[in-house]
Amino acid sequence: MFKKVIVLALCILLVVPVLGFAKLTVIGPWAGAEKEGFMPVLQAFTKKTGIEVEYRIYRFEDLVTMLPAQFSAKKTPGDLIFMSGTEWMVKNAKHLADLSDVINEGEFVPGTLVSKVNGKLLAGTFTGKIKPGFWYRKSFFGKYGLTVPNTWDEFVTLLQKIKMIPGIKAPIASGDGTGWPLSDVTEHFLITFGGPSLQKDLIAGNIKWESYTVKSIFEKLVFLLKSGYFSEPTEWTTILKQWWNGDYALYFMGSWITGMVDDPNDLGVFALPGCKGMVFSPDYFNVPIYSKHLEDAKKLAGFLAGREGQTISASLGGHIATNIGVPADVYPPVDREVAELLKGVQSLPDLDDTVGGEFQPAFWDQLKLLWVRPGRLDDVLQVLDEKMR
Amino acid sequence: MKKKIYRKIVHDTFAWIIGLIWIIPFVGLLMTGIRPMDELLHGWWNLKVLHLTFRNFIQAWHHPSVPLSQGTMNSLIVAVPATVIPILIATMAGYGFSRYRFPMRNSLFILIVLMLALPQQMIAVPIFNIMNKLRLLDNYLGLIIVHTAWGLPWITFFMRNFFTTLPVEVEEAARMDGASDVRTFFSIALPIAIPAIVSAAALQFTWVWSDFFLALILMYSPNKLLATQRIPLMRGVYFVNWGLLAAAAILLMLVPILVYTLLQKHYVKGMVGWSSK
Amino acid sequence: MNRRAKFSHFGIFVLPALVLICVFVLYPCLRTISLSFFSGGKLTFSNYVDVLKSRDVVNPQGFSRGEFPLGALFDNLIWIVIHLPLTILLGLILAVYLRNVKGGSIIKSIIFLGMVMPMITGGVMIRFIFDKDIGVVNAFLKLFGFVPKTWTAYPETALFSLIFGSIWLWTGFSMILYAAGLETIPKDLYEAAQLDGASRTRMFFSITIPLLKPITIVVVTMTLLWELKIFDIVYVATMGGPGGASNVLALQMYIYAFKGLDFGKSSVVAVFITLFTLMVSIPMARSAGERR
Repeated sequence: MFKKVIVLALCILLVVPVLGFAKLTVIGPWAGAEKEGFMPVLQAFTKKTGIEVEYRIYRFEDLVTMLPAQFSAKKTPGDLIFMSGTEWMVKNAKHLADLSDVINEGEFVPGTLVSKVNGKLLAGTFTGKIKPGFWYRKSFFGKYGLTVPNTWDEFVTLLQKIKMIPGIKAPIASGDGTGWPLSDVTEHFLITFGGPSLQKDLIAGNIKWESYTVKSIFEKLVFLLKSGYFSEPTEWTTILKQWWNGDYALYFMGSWITGMVDDPNDLGVFALPGCKGMVFSPDYFNVPIYSKHLEDAKKLAGFLAGREGQTISASLGGHIATNIGVPADVYPPVDREVAELLKGVQSLPDLDDTVGGEFQPAFWDQLKLLWVRPGRLDDVLQVLDEKMR
Repeated sequence: MKKKIYRKIVHDTFAWIIGLIWIIPFVGLLMTGIRPMDELLHGWWNLKVLHLTFRNFIQAWHHPSVPLSQGTMNSLIVAVPATVIPILIATMAGYGFSRYRFPMRNSLFILIVLMLALPQQMIAVPIFNIMNKLRLLDNYLGLIIVHTAWGLPWITFFMRNFFTTLPVEVEEAARMDGASDVRTFFSIALPIAIPAIVSAAALQFTWVWSDFFLALILMYSPNKLLATQRIPLMRGVYFVNWGLLAAAAILLMLVPILVYTLLQKHYVKGMVGWSSK
Repeated sequence: MNRRAKFSHFGIFVLPALVLICVFVLYPCLRTISLSFFSGGKLTFSNYVDVLKSRDVVNPQGFSRGEFPLGALFDNLIWIVIHLPLTILLGLILAVYLRNVKGGSIIKSIIFLGMVMPMITGGVMIRFIFDKDIGVVNAFLKLFGFVPKTWTAYPETALFSLIFGSIWLWTGFSMILYAAGLETIPKDLYEAAQLDGASRTRMFFSITIPLLKPITIVVVTMTLLWELKIFDIVYVATMGGPGGASNVLALQMYIYAFKGLDFGKSSVVAVFITLFTLMVSIPMARSAGERR
């Protein structure tokens, strides 16, 4: 009798971990400080549901190469994977689970939830980062009596004024990561002067880079480049320090800059006057159908897209919620301002991330050329058209 | 006589100047690695303010996203087997080519020599697919196998050339005493070949350690990346500056430089062995 | 030798190596060739046409205008034209000059260091020395009144910065080989020539250079192969930019395969590289086959 009890107890002990303590694997591209901003969300989920979650880092470009092979073998390296680009999602539609039952479409900022494929919602939306415009130090502007411009002419005048300030190397700092933020600035110009629809048309390939519309917008950018208002492309974290120290006045950057400076409250940002759209890059995630814990993974999906998960992420700073249920007061002060900027403008996808493929490195490479040789605009546009397949 | 000494001093001094000029970039790299970034903004040759710090090295070694400590370990995990195994297999093959006659011997050997010309790009995509099918993608074993196969042609060529310079009398004597071919190889030929083997090992180890392209294609998981892969990642994807990058580059160089310093004669003989005889 | 023994020699000693080479080197190589001729499941030349039309490998526009980018193929050729003669000459001159210098082996090791380090680091060094703010080249040029700029960021100078940087890296190879070769030339040849009244220059050209011919063949071959296959340096220093001005064949192959996921075009580029490298290696392979 006693033996039977022991055996039963052992069986329960063996089965319970499998049932109740399922471990989900989440795959994301963040490391270091960014990762630290994500872990509390996962921890809150575990606290709420008892489901353990493990996080692993993979770069997006490595996943693009690796996932097709895994999917064709009906396997997946993660139960929930953060992947970018709707193109990828559409191509892999048959491998992804439908999330319509855990995500409520009405809760989201328009344009941030992906379109359904064959009636199925294949990706969920987490918080994201926006690329609002040119950042400046309020103290710097105050010191030299500068004000935020309201028209294009005021913007150019502002740049002229800044250029004359002693000690300034160039009014606008040009960061060079692997090609962005040059691409971010360029997209900002396209959106401002071509309207949000231009960004979408370019992504879809409905309009050529060499067209009159696009070219005339680029010519505004070239005008600024030739006038010496932009610096030479420099490693983006180095130039961040130099900008903070006063070598440059303006720096076009994404909202994650708030986590990278000593005094975020000294930060101010403005978009080009007349800009009606903003690149908002939410972090999208999918749940492959090959997950061994499909129901739990879907629960996590619902949590991340839902008010709870997004609130935690927003409160940690540097992230903007896509879920409208997240109240404005959870944001740290600077991020609140940034979130405000999103109101009243259309949120748009990042152009080179969405197109991807051979176009993306070519886009970055051509912009690096344009920045040092603005006179070669025609060549640059020609190559961009060639690389858009 | 005096004129000769004078000329020699001038000659030697000039030679040393050349050496100093040649080493300037290394000095620059070192300075960038051991001085704080603010001092370097106006050029590392400014020695007005000079603070030495190992912070960059420690940060590169323990970097939160791409620690070189992990990278070095991973590179060793690949480089050591990928040196030992091909040396073993290729030495036997080189011996076989030099000592024994078998059908198509010459054609096979020329085929192997032609493989020395191949760029790694020629096998990249199919190797990726093969490793995928074998489930060895993102797996050290897969990378070791590819490096082994890639090293076999040149080491076979190298060892075969070495063995052709060895007189066969000692081996023949052993064979007459009844030793089998394999025994003859292991007990007589191999020990004599040790200097050549050390040369080949030094070169193969350095080349595997320094490899970037094959690692780039076959290894993805951030914690499995080899040391060489971590360097480009530090140039703009992750939060890094010149000082950190310089420190990382120095740390990466240390291992092959160590191999070169310890095995200098063999290393050089290895490279020269291509040409002589 | 009986037949059984012959086959066992082959089987035990040579077969393992051959099997591995066939599976992991020869087969993938042949597969790449076949991939280059397939597109959309059909046997076709379209990949070759696409690559040649794409202006990545050959850019006729660059030629008619006389400016970069000229296409990856020509970048490799320019690399060869500049790098090959300079490293060989420099290596030979240094080998001769440093021959009996006190502490010469230390100097030679310094020069050789460029060969010992991983080429990824080589690329970092090149990016570093040509940088606007912290690069030595600009510091030096500033003395002559030049305005500093990052040489690798401009289309006219990107490729040349890489090439000259690579000369600094590679010269050690030719120097070491020539230095070893110089040691093998018997001294009495020089002594006899001196007795006949030959000048040092005369001796150099009539004795040294001809006797170094085998080494020269090896140095030339290895250097050419290196120049054709160059990847790491470009990847980390400029990634082929700006605007493709410093693109090389190996890098373009990588971009087609792993960014564009177009294996047909990437195989075409791989085949191009291999055609060149095979042509280059034939002299050396022939002399290898001649040896008994």
